[in-house]
Amino acid sequence: MRVTKGARIVAGTALLAVAVAACGGGGGGTATNDGGGSSAQPVRVDIAKPQHELSPTNTNDTSGAEVLNALFVGLVDYDKDKNVILRGAESIEPDAESKMWTIKLKDGYKFHNGEAVTAKSYVDAWNAAAYGPNVQEGGHFFSAVKGYEDVAPVDPDGEEGPQKAPEPKAKTLSGLKVVDEKTFTVELAHPYSGFKTMLGYTTFMPMPSAAFDGNGGIKREFGENPIGNGPFKMAKPFKLATDTTISMVRYDEFVEGKAKIDAVEFKISSDKGTSWNELRAGNLDIMDQLPPEAIATAKQELGDRYIEQPSSGVGYFGFNARNGEEWAKNPELRKAVSMAIDRKTITEQVFSGTRVPADDFVSPIVAGYRKGACVECVYDPAKAKALWDKNGGGKGPVSLSYNGDGGHKEWIEAAANNLRQNLGVEVKVDAFESFAAILDELDKGKVTGGFRMAWIMDYPSMENYLRPIFGTGGSSNHGRYSNKDFDELLVKGDSAKSDEEGVKFYQQAGDMLVKDMPYIPVYFYQTNAGYSQRVKNVTIDPFERIDLAKVERVS
Amino acid sequence: MSELNTAVQEPKAHPRRKQKEKKPNSLWSDAWYDLRRNKVFLVGTAIAILLILMAIMPGVFAPQNPLACNLVDARQGISSEHWFGIDNQGCDTFSRVIHGARISILVGLLTSVVTGLVGGVLGLIAGFYGRWVDVILSRLAEIFFAIPSILGALLLLSAVGRDAAGVWTVVLALAILAWPMVLRIMRAAVITAKSQDYVTAARALGASPFRISVRHILPNAVAPVIVVCTMNLGVFIAGEAALSFLGVGIQSPNISWGLMIADARNRFLMAPEPLIFPAIFLSITVLSFVMIGDAVRDALDPKLR
Repeated sequence: MRVTKGARIVAGTALLAVAVAACGGGGGGTATNDGGGSSAQPVRVDIAKPQHELSPTNTNDTSGAEVLNALFVGLVDYDKDKNVILRGAESIEPDAESKMWTIKLKDGYKFHNGEAVTAKSYVDAWNAAAYGPNVQEGGHFFSAVKGYEDVAPVDPDGEEGPQKAPEPKAKTLSGLKVVDEKTFTVELAHPYSGFKTMLGYTTFMPMPSAAFDGNGGIKREFGENPIGNGPFKMAKPFKLATDTTISMVRYDEFVEGKAKIDAVEFKISSDKGTSWNELRAGNLDIMDQLPPEAIATAKQELGDRYIEQPSSGVGYFGFNARNGEEWAKNPELRKAVSMAIDRKTITEQVFSGTRVPADDFVSPIVAGYRKGACVECVYDPAKAKALWDKNGGGKGPVSLSYNGDGGHKEWIEAAANNLRQNLGVEVKVDAFESFAAILDELDKGKVTGGFRMAWIMDYPSMENYLRPIFGTGGSSNHGRYSNKDFDELLVKGDSAKSDEEGVKFYQQAGDMLVKDMPYIPVYFYQTNAGYSQRVKNVTIDPFERIDLAKVERVS
Repeated sequence: MSELNTAVQEPKAHPRRKQKEKKPNSLWSDAWYDLRRNKVFLVGTAIAILLILMAIMPGVFAPQNPLACNLVDARQGISSEHWFGIDNQGCDTFSRVIHGARISILVGLLTSVVTGLVGGVLGLIAGFYGRWVDVILSRLAEIFFAIPSILGALLLLSAVGRDAAGVWTVVLALAILAWPMVLRIMRAAVITAKSQDYVTAARALGASPFRISVRHILPNAVAPVIVVCTMNLGVFIAGEAALSFLGVGIQSPNISWGLMIADARNRFLMAPEPLIFPAIFLSITVLSFVMIGDAVRDALDPKLR
């Protein structure tokens, strides 16, 4: 999924931040630390603004996924070593060639409105997600299921084009079949041994019958007040346009056992620097990613309450290669940009050494990562300048866009300085007010030049770093990259007999990316999280999600 | 209490020039005579001239290119090579502070001139013609006057968007909310001057309204406007810095003190220099123009004598 994390300057809040910082900021817990009665303050968690209303089918950003993760439980989950463990599913069995999958559900899971989670809850949700006219962010994840072309026909001239996509031939995926109350089968378009691994992602969550409008669509009210099957339920509806908090209370009948805390409040922030000061002042309990300027001192200030661990995230620059600025369309110029960025110094000076310069398109924590695979990611200003001039890069202006609510300003400015000095171009840096805002513009294909992007895996597989971002029509293919050979290699990788064999095909696909450089990898993430004195037992997984069911209050 | 009573001031004789020449002293020559002897004015002017020189030819003062940054050196402290240390992006703070003077002073001057011209002309018209012209212009001015200036400018600039943000948009955003002040002062001065005998005399001689207003009223009403514009200059410079600090004013890679302060604030405890020095320069600049304005007011306002 796409990521927004870090810190920034925004009108108004900036003044507050200074004021708070000036007060010394050592703070700690608040006076009203009453340790866990029903009247206690909810545990307050920092997030950025979700891009859409909270429907599992339409959530592709880390903030939205973080919230949905508290509301919903899917078929599978992942343990510490990123192995698949069954959660909502009793069993998930493929046939001999991994094309037909039979999924049996566990008993006992219920939606917050009392409805039992059945095979139909999954099948209906998946059909609604895949149905083209619903335009759901998660739709493309079902492209592996048989019948996807019939429910979501390809738009002949892309989303921006004047032609509309043809009317879908079917409303439901022909590959999905309900066998009985607790069993359903999934027939895939091609053999895919890694299908089970995908199922832990938000898009594959079940939805109750109250969510659907009876005509293949999803009710708008559902996104405002989602009814899930997870450890927490909504305390009140969430209005995306106006609300700045999302309130949840514990769902007491949760079959896996009650959560330790009775209420959670997600606080939407537009400036990670402000959130950091709030955390220090005791007005916020958990931040799953600290702003870069806080990293250097956080360990000292928070002590045990500071978490530093590897994450699955990769930070990129993406390019609008279809209808953007001329330079963004030329792979050779993109390579020049890649070679002109001094990744090592940026990771050291801006991120206090807590990021790793990227040298592949996939994160080192998934199988298939190769050290140094991205040969164009090595800093070489002389070569970059020669390549830039040879291919008529010119004087610019080159535009770089980023979201201002994620703490990216410093490293984007640093990269812009790299380009100015090493390529001799004019660089225009453009800050969008929120990640949601830049995603909306990207969905419309309106961001002109380069843009910051990042990816945190949805499920632990190399494929997840390739298909959603670079596959034709991929759910997060903001660069509108399309390469038939690349798509074919992915299918070959899916269909391979063993994981090792599959990874080889995926790596070949990765090599094609290095040749075309539709994005340029910049750094590998690390989780730098912190929490207040009011809570304990805070754990964050490699997907950068907080395990809220385990969090406890300090009494 | 008796001690306090001892501090009775001697009535001060006005240090008027010894009247050797026959030509009578005008308001302006008196004012100039005062100003030349006013220490506050001299100090303020000296600083302002230095700053203006910095703005005109920053290359002479700045040892390095403000855009030639080397991230490896970020946050190094003060050294013989980098007098004000190095900022978070590895740029020389001293060079950036020098280059930052240009935009601050440009915005201050332009805004002062624009508000002076717009407010002055409209104030002259309102005061001279009176009646419905005055009613309309004064009410219009009051509408703008009611909007808090920084908040209003913030709204205007966010509405315009980052793409268009630049020196002129900041100038206009500040000027749109500041001209009514000049209008009010000009209007009051014109109304006072209008009832003077020399205006009646000019009218009796058959002078046109245009000639009366420009030749007879304006020279006698313009002094307070000049005072207000000079003092506002410092206020506008501070306004520009505030807007840039909040992210809606001048945009990088242009250099502005407000922007520098905003960029340095997050790591203030690690590297205070990149925040402190632009802040000092900003304060000194605002102070110098306020000092000049203060001195000019003392010199031009006969009532204070």
